Amino acid sequence: MLLDIQGLIKRFGGLTAVSNVSFGIERGEIVGIFGPNGSGKTTTLNLIAGILQPTEGSILWKGNEIGRLASFEVAQQGLIKTFQNPQLFPELTVAQHMRIACHLHIKRALGIGRVLTLLRGTPGELDGVLTRKIDQMLELCRLADKRGEVAGALSYGSEKMLGVAMGMVCEPELLLLDEPASGLGNDEISNLDAVLRDLRTHGVTLCIIDHKVGFLGRLADRAIALHHGAIIAVGKTTDVLDNSAVVEAYLGKKHA
Amino acid sequence: MKYAAPTALLIALFAPLAVHSDSILAIAIYGFMAASLAVSFNLIFGFTGQLSLFHAASFGVSAYIVTILVTAFGWNFWLAVVPALAVVLILSLIVGTICFRFKLKEFYFAVVTMAFSEILRLVILNWNGITNGSLGITVVDRPSLWTPSGAVQISSGIAWYYLTLALLVIVYVVCQRILSSWIGRCLAAIRLNDQLGETLGIDVFKYKLLSFAVGSVLAGLVGAFYGFYSGFVEPHYLSISLGLDIIAMVLLGGVGSLIGPVIGAVILTALPHVIDLSAELRIGLYGSILIFVILVMPKGIVGLLGSRKNAA
Repeated sequence: MLLDIQGLIKRFGGLTAVSNVSFGIERGEIVGIFGPNGSGKTTTLNLIAGILQPTEGSILWKGNEIGRLASFEVAQQGLIKTFQNPQLFPELTVAQHMRIACHLHIKRALGIGRVLTLLRGTPGELDGVLTRKIDQMLELCRLADKRGEVAGALSYGSEKMLGVAMGMVCEPELLLLDEPASGLGNDEISNLDAVLRDLRTHGVTLCIIDHKVGFLGRLADRAIALHHGAIIAVGKTTDVLDNSAVVEAYLGKKHA
Repeated sequence: MKYAAPTALLIALFAPLAVHSDSILAIAIYGFMAASLAVSFNLIFGFTGQLSLFHAASFGVSAYIVTILVTAFGWNFWLAVVPALAVVLILSLIVGTICFRFKLKEFYFAVVTMAFSEILRLVILNWNGITNGSLGITVVDRPSLWTPSGAVQISSGIAWYYLTLALLVIVYVVCQRILSSWIGRCLAAIRLNDQLGETLGIDVFKYKLLSFAVGSVLAGLVGAFYGFYSGFVEPHYLSISLGLDIIAMVLLGGVGSLIGPVIGAVILTALPHVIDLSAELRIGLYGSILIFVILVMPKGIVGLLGSRKNAA
């Protein structure tokens, strides 16, 4: 199992945002986490990504505990999280964003030998690899024609796509996507759907949270439904979405 | 702007052939040292986004250590530079670790670094036995250079001119190499959005500390020479007003550029000599320039030149 979460609890003062959540993610899957607003989806994702520290419980990544690591250390392990609202560097172009996101690639390729690049510059060979990698990811995320544009000038959909592209250039084994479809139009959502399916063929495992049942329902192999911070259903996506407890959590008792 | 730095260096190398005035030479020497301070400060402020008020302290502490080791203990100047820079490195690592571990940003960082800087100034002011308190220490010694024909004392204006120019080039090149490397991209990420940087795997704490320590040590390097040229060291070297002068130079020249602070430093160093002003008026002038720059040209002279070119 790639990621194994056991008995995860997060309390903020008197509020329990995530209560006793346990689930696992296998390599190559697309796992969807559903839930209405305030159900603890984003908190769960932030706990996995190291942005928050769990109150109790364990997060095992390939068998190693990562629950107490800082977010940059989690990222270095190969788990990358994108943000719900695109967090970008407003003054920089798309290509410059991608170059910064190559940090881990350079670190892995050169190790402590990076210090030598202070004297000699980045080796041309590595530079070529990075350029190809950036081009490939921008192509994959349908951003190739925007590489010279400043982030501040991008549309909301492109901003979110750039977030995904930057995550991908880090070469994650597991990409955590926080509501990638929120705020997007229908065209942009079908585009996103296609991009995420392409990502899977590149061998990336995806864990996506969203409350857009339609979009994520089509995409995810397996679903986890959260309500008030606890899991109310796990299983095949269609089964979970048909589950009466899930329907009730979304629509209220009357409609169930 | 690409060839601005090499062109300026070429002019500076040959300028003494045309200019024979000692006073202009002295202004250039002080200008080079101020520029070195401003460039190293800009590594921390302009490129990493951390408003450090510790820069004058790094400069002053190093100036004191070198001066005391040479005048009171008879050390060789160049040998004395080593412990001075080591002490600045250790101090900056301590102050930086405290600030960055507690995630102090912007004005909180500025105020805490200012407090550390004041502590050091008060120690120097009151440690009469070693530092001679508010009177400072007079420096009569001069550093020597070893040449094939024996040791030569750096005492003439021309020798100091080239020495401080070399100092500026060293500081500039160190900063330039760092900024054009992967470290520079990490620093940009930290300046623009450190939370995003962190999720991309950048150790924000480590790179903030690196930038702060390198910038501070470079300021210490300038400090080591400064006392020996001016002929004295005094507690004023560690004052907040010197820190603010450096900020003014960087803001005037251009925050986001390497050459900008050099321009700003040379202008602000030369200005009081060109238009003869008393110290009080000079501070007033600095303040006015600072306000004007922030309001009218937030990216400084370099930013203004850049935008002209883009508009054309």
